Amino acid sequence: MAKLWLVAKHEYFKRVQKRSFLLATFGLPLLITLSMAIAGLAIGSSLHKSIGYVDQAGIMAGMLGQSGGDNDFLAYPDEVSARAALEEGTIQAYYILPADYLHSRNLELYYWDEQPGRHVMEDFDQLLRTQLSDDLPESVRHRIMEGWYLKIIAADGSRSFDERTGFVSIMMPFIASMLFFFAVMAASGYLLQAVTDEKENRTVEILATSLTPGQLMSGKAIGLLAVALTQIAAWAISIAVALVIAAQIFEPLQGFQVPWGYFGIILLFFVPSYALAAGIMISIGSIVTDMQQGQQMASVVNMLFLAPMFVSTLMLSNPDSPILVAMTLFPTTALLTISLRWSMAVVPFWQLSLSWLLLVAASAVAIWASGRLFRMGMLRYGQRLNLRNILAAIRQSTTGFDVHEMKGQPDA
Amino acid sequence: MHTVEVTNIRKSFGPNLAVAEVSFAVEKGEIFGMLGPNGAGKTTSIRIMLDIFKPDRGHISVFGGDLNEQKKNNIGYLPEERGLYKDIKLEQVLIYLATLKGLDETTARRRLDKWLDRFDLTAHRRKKVQELSKGMQQKAQIIATLLHDPDLIVMDEPFAGLDPVNARLVKDILEDLRRAGKSIIMSTHRMYQVEALCNRIVLINEGHSVLYGQVDEIKHNFAGNAVVLEGKGDFSQLPGVIDDRRQNGEVHLTLAPGADPQAIFHTLAQRENTSIDRFQIAEPSFEDIFIAVVQEGKEEPSYG
Repeated sequence: MAKLWLVAKHEYFKRVQKRSFLLATFGLPLLITLSMAIAGLAIGSSLHKSIGYVDQAGIMAGMLGQSGGDNDFLAYPDEVSARAALEEGTIQAYYILPADYLHSRNLELYYWDEQPGRHVMEDFDQLLRTQLSDDLPESVRHRIMEGWYLKIIAADGSRSFDERTGFVSIMMPFIASMLFFFAVMAASGYLLQAVTDEKENRTVEILATSLTPGQLMSGKAIGLLAVALTQIAAWAISIAVALVIAAQIFEPLQGFQVPWGYFGIILLFFVPSYALAAGIMISIGSIVTDMQQGQQMASVVNMLFLAPMFVSTLMLSNPDSPILVAMTLFPTTALLTISLRWSMAVVPFWQLSLSWLLLVAASAVAIWASGRLFRMGMLRYGQRLNLRNILAAIRQSTTGFDVHEMKGQPDA
Repeated sequence: MHTVEVTNIRKSFGPNLAVAEVSFAVEKGEIFGMLGPNGAGKTTSIRIMLDIFKPDRGHISVFGGDLNEQKKNNIGYLPEERGLYKDIKLEQVLIYLATLKGLDETTARRRLDKWLDRFDLTAHRRKKVQELSKGMQQKAQIIATLLHDPDLIVMDEPFAGLDPVNARLVKDILEDLRRAGKSIIMSTHRMYQVEALCNRIVLINEGHSVLYGQVDEIKHNFAGNAVVLEGKGDFSQLPGVIDDRRQNGEVHLTLAPGADPQAIFHTLAQRENTSIDRFQIAEPSFEDIFIAVVQEGKEEPSYG
C-alpha cells in the first residue's frame, strides 16, 4: 500500500476510535433528538389546558362548550367569574372580547403563572375566525380560513420557493451548512493536532526518514477528511431518519423535496474549503511549539470562517447586500455564506464561479505554503517561528525536508 | 563500495556554523562511532546524511549514490530526540512504523513477536505507549529502528535510558547485527562502549572531524599520552598534563600531545612532599583520548 494511504489509514483509525470522536459524532444527533423530545413534551404538557373567554361583544354565542384545536375554550359570563376560575387554577388564561371588538379588533388575554403558547393563541384565532365567517358559503369560508399557498419563482427559473415547504426549505440548508461547517473545522482542528502531535512526541524525525513531507501531509489530510465525512454521514443519516419520522407527524414535511442542487454546490465548495482550512492549520501547527499555542491561533482563524453567522440577520433581510456578496467571494467565508444565502435568494452564477475560483486558488496557496512551513518547523522543538523565519520558509525553493535557509539553529 | 561516504560537508543555520568540514566513510559489517562533545555537530551531520537537512556544500553517498525513497526503506534511524505515539498501543505503533518502511503487515507482525520476546516486552504489547516505563519505551524505539531489518542502522545515543542489563542486551544485538553484515553508525558519549564495540570512529569537534580511523590504531598513536602512577603528594598542575584524576588509588594523567612523560617524571621527582611508588606509561583509554583531543581543540585534523 502506498505510504500516503498508510498515513491516511493510521490517522483515520486513530481518530475514530477516540471517545471524543464517538461523542461528537453520535452524541450530537442524540442531544438534538433529546432536546426535540423534551421540547415536544413541554409543548404537550401545555396542551389540553382550558382557556377561558368572556364574550362582551356577543359574537361567540354558538360556540359555548366547543373546543378549538387541541384546546378547550370555556365561556364565562363576566370577567369576575373568569378571574375566579383563573385563581382556582381551572383555566390557564382567559380572553376578554370587548363590546367594540368588531370595530376595534382589540383583544385582551389574562394569565397567572404561565403565558399560553403560540399554539393556543392560533387555535383561539381559528375559533374566532370560524365564528365570524359562519354565515358565508362553505367554499368561501374554507378559502378565507386556509389563506393562500405562495410559490416564489426566480425569473430565470433556476430556483423556486414553495411556502408549504418553505420553513423546511430554509431550515434544511441552514442545518446542513452548520454541519458542513463544523465538519470542516473539526477536521482541520484534528489536522492542527496531528501536526503538533508529532512535534510534541518527537516521532517527526523517524517519519522524515520514512516518507516525504508531501506523503505525510497529504496522508494526514485525506485521513482526517475521511473522519469529517464519516461524521457528516452519521449526522446526515440521523437527520434523514428524523425527517422520515417527523414527516409522519408534521404535515409540512410531507411535501419536502431534497435540494440536490444545493448539496451539489456545497460539495463543490466543501472540498477546497477543507483544503484551505487544512493548509492554514498545518501552517499554524508548524509555527507553534505545542497544541495550546496552536489552539489560540486557530481560534482566531475559526472566526474568519464563522463570520457569516454574525450577519445572519442580514441574510434574512437583504440576502443580496454588498457585504454578503463580498463574503460570498472571500475564500474563508464562501462556504457558509453561499450555504446560508441559498435558501433566501438566487446566488448569481458569476458569484458562484468567481467565488469557487478564488477559493481554489487560496486553498492551493495555503497548502503550498503549509508544506514549506512544515518542513521548516518540524525540527524546531520548543522554538516558535518568527515572521522572518516564516517568510524565509515560503521563499525557499529546495525540496525534501530541508531547512536550508532557516535563520537560527534547530536543536543540535 | 562504502555503505556511507560523507565528503567535506558544511552546514550553517543563519550566522551559526553547525558543521564546518566533516568527512568519513562507513563500511559494510562494521560499527562506526561518531564521537564529540555536545554541540560539536554530530546530530546535524547525521541529519544531513539522512537527507533531513541539505548541506551547504559537500557530498553524501549512501549505498553507492544519492539517497532516494527506496534506499530510505533500508535505513533504521534512532534519533537523539525520540518518542512514539503515546496514546496508541505499542504493537500498533511498531507495525505502523515498519509498514512506513515498506514492510508488509504480516511480515511485520511475525518479526515483531521475536523482537518483543527478545526485549521482554511481549506482555506489554497491547498497552498504550504512555503506560510503559521510560526504559520500556527506549527498548520499543530500538525495535522500531530494527524491525524492518535495515542494512544501515543509525543510532544516536542507543544506550541512553537503559539499565546495565538492557544496555548489555543492546550491545549483544549490535554485535549480532555487525556479524550479519549490517553497517551501524553509533553516536555516543559513552567511551567505554566505543572501545568495546566500535571498529572505527570519527571524532567531531567544533564542526570539524578531528580524529578518524581504526580504534586500535588511534589508541596506538596516542600511546605515551597517558601515565598511571601511585604515590603520595600533589600530582596536579603539572606542565604538559591536561587532565588528572584519581581512580581506585591510582592517579591517571592525560598528557597533551607531544608532552614528554620523562619530563613529567622529572618534575614530580623534584617536588617536595611527593613520593612515587609506581610510574607507568599506559595505553590511553578512549576517554583520555577524547579529553586530550577536545581540550587541545586547535590541534590539526589527524587521519589514521
